[in-house]
Amino acid sequence: MMKKVIATLMTAAMAMSLVACGGGGDTAPAQDAGPAQDEAPAADDAEAPADDAAAAGDATAAGGDLNGDGKIVVGYISKNTVDVFHAQINGAAEEKLNALKEEGVIDDWTGILDGNTDAAKQCDLAQDCINYNCDYVIILPAESTASDPAVTSLSDAGIGVIVVNSKTDSTDSLALTYCGSDDVFAGELMGQYVQEKVPDGGVYVHCQGIIGNSAQQQRGEGIMNTVGADSKWTLAADVPCDWDPSKAVNAVDDYLAQYGDDLKAVICDNDDMSSAAQTECNAKGREDIVCIGVDGNQGPLQMVKDGTLGATVLQDGAGQVLAGIDAVVKSVNGETVEKEYSIPFVLVTSENVDEYLK
Amino acid sequence: MNRKNKSKNNDAFRMFMGKYGIGVILVFMLIIISIMKPRFIYPSNILNILTQISVNCLIAYGMCLAITTGGIDLSVGSQLALVSCLLGQFIVNMQMNVFLACVLAALAAAFLGFVNGFLIAKFDMFPFVVTLATQLVIRSMAQIISDGKGLSMAMPEFKVIYSGTLLGIPLPIVYMILISVVMYIVLHWTRFGRYVFAVGGNVHAAIASGVSVFWTKTMCYTISGLLAGLAGIIFSSKTGSAQSNIGVGYETDAVAACVLGGTSFAGGIATAPGVLLGAIIIGCIYNGMNFLNIGSYYQYMTKGIIIIFAVLLDMVINKKGN
Repeated sequence: MMKKVIATLMTAAMAMSLVACGGGGDTAPAQDAGPAQDEAPAADDAEAPADDAAAAGDATAAGGDLNGDGKIVVGYISKNTVDVFHAQINGAAEEKLNALKEEGVIDDWTGILDGNTDAAKQCDLAQDCINYNCDYVIILPAESTASDPAVTSLSDAGIGVIVVNSKTDSTDSLALTYCGSDDVFAGELMGQYVQEKVPDGGVYVHCQGIIGNSAQQQRGEGIMNTVGADSKWTLAADVPCDWDPSKAVNAVDDYLAQYGDDLKAVICDNDDMSSAAQTECNAKGREDIVCIGVDGNQGPLQMVKDGTLGATVLQDGAGQVLAGIDAVVKSVNGETVEKEYSIPFVLVTSENVDEYLK
Repeated sequence: MNRKNKSKNNDAFRMFMGKYGIGVILVFMLIIISIMKPRFIYPSNILNILTQISVNCLIAYGMCLAITTGGIDLSVGSQLALVSCLLGQFIVNMQMNVFLACVLAALAAAFLGFVNGFLIAKFDMFPFVVTLATQLVIRSMAQIISDGKGLSMAMPEFKVIYSGTLLGIPLPIVYMILISVVMYIVLHWTRFGRYVFAVGGNVHAAIASGVSVFWTKTMCYTISGLLAGLAGIIFSSKTGSAQSNIGVGYETDAVAACVLGGTSFAGGIATAPGVLLGAIIIGCIYNGMNFLNIGSYYQYMTKGIIIIFAVLLDMVINKKGN
């Protein structure tokens, strides 16, 4: 008897926990979504999924409500929610989209959907967005090829796809617009900075992001175009560090032990790694080693301001996603949307760090 | 008399909850989420959820075999990556027939599963340690084969594996149903299935009654490898690319599906329908939380809490010897 009671209580508690979490995460959107849904006629609502494909044809004419269900809903598929860089992008997007919802430019949005840096997960989320009846979906692809089915399936469903930060294979042909920055250019900026700082050249180590990632590949290409092509510079190794600062520190230790004073620079695919590498070099009394990376996260920027890090390459992630959201607004208002918006990388040194440090 | 009746009722309730408790939880979840977001229960979204869970469900069946024999298979995530990279080499670089390539890749995964099982059963090594090590080896093999680069496999004859339909039902669901039927028969109707439960439940009794522990365990890990291989084919077709960095953390969801489905880590207890229900619940949690606009930071917590409560519930209901 006792067990029966406990079992029932447990089930109830579990159900409650689900509801409680639901309520906690989303008080405001749920309330807002309720009335909006009521306004739409029930029959119309039910037919909406079937109409998706038909509506795709006259997408631009519909003035934002691409699937014709009487509401403008925006989906947001993040790359992940844990990297400092992406947390910043997601934060900027969340603020802007909530503001747009309050102003009534859009009726609802999905909240930040967590792509978990997993292309297959992003493909699933794309299906979720279709079932959520989104008109526009902003996606930050985890992979150039593997995330592409997410873009194609959204586009097939007549949804306006806004690709942000990095391209997928069919972005150019299918997406409404692409907002990002040229990673090859970022690699070249890093290479040029190293060449300037150490004109005599020497040995350098390249700490890579997760292998296969398009940012990793393109930044690597930019590095090869500059120091890689310079006869004064020798590559000690391309070290796979998975964007992980602790692995970059290990790499610095390994190659300091091997090359000693000949090691002149550590070029990293992101600046979480380069700032950690620089801290390690400084701790070993090798402030002369030039460490540089890409992103412009707050930690490295603070180090640039403090003078413990020479420079970092800022990728304006917030600028990219805000450009993407602007494109949604333009499309809703029936204005023309460019196929591509390029947001430039900036080399941040002690001279201009104050502009970017919040 | 009255008292006897009551205890009979109590037993009946326990039998019911023991068998279908997890189903009751699922129905609860479906009702709650549907009330909050009616669109959740639309047929298109149900098909969507079932399609999404196919990969996890296949892995979970293999994991269930490993757990039932008292072990675990942590190498499944890496197996996905290896199969994906093999498919890339076979189909893109060698222009091999898609069907043949899939068979070969799945066999390779099965073979590595066999290696897992052999090491575990022959040398009596801890399954956790063996598969923790082989997952590294397998991941590395995938990176070597692919040279760290992604290959596009967007050709229609390969993409159709995931995106095709049969009588309006997406193919991944069809595979899942087929495998579920096979797994049900294997686990509950065959001698091998009884051996699996025997080995997991009481190894000494199993040996005494003439069950080959070595072959039973080895076969379990081989099947786990094969199922991970099949899951890898579906996964690669889904993303249309061959990559070595996929499948990280996929063992977690598989273990969660098993545990939710009543598979006991003590060994010897599992049901095939339970695993399927567990996988469906995991899928509903992911999809449902997105529909409810639950922030991603809360999602893992919710998942963890649900798993703990489900297992607690299961333990309370199934507590034996009382």
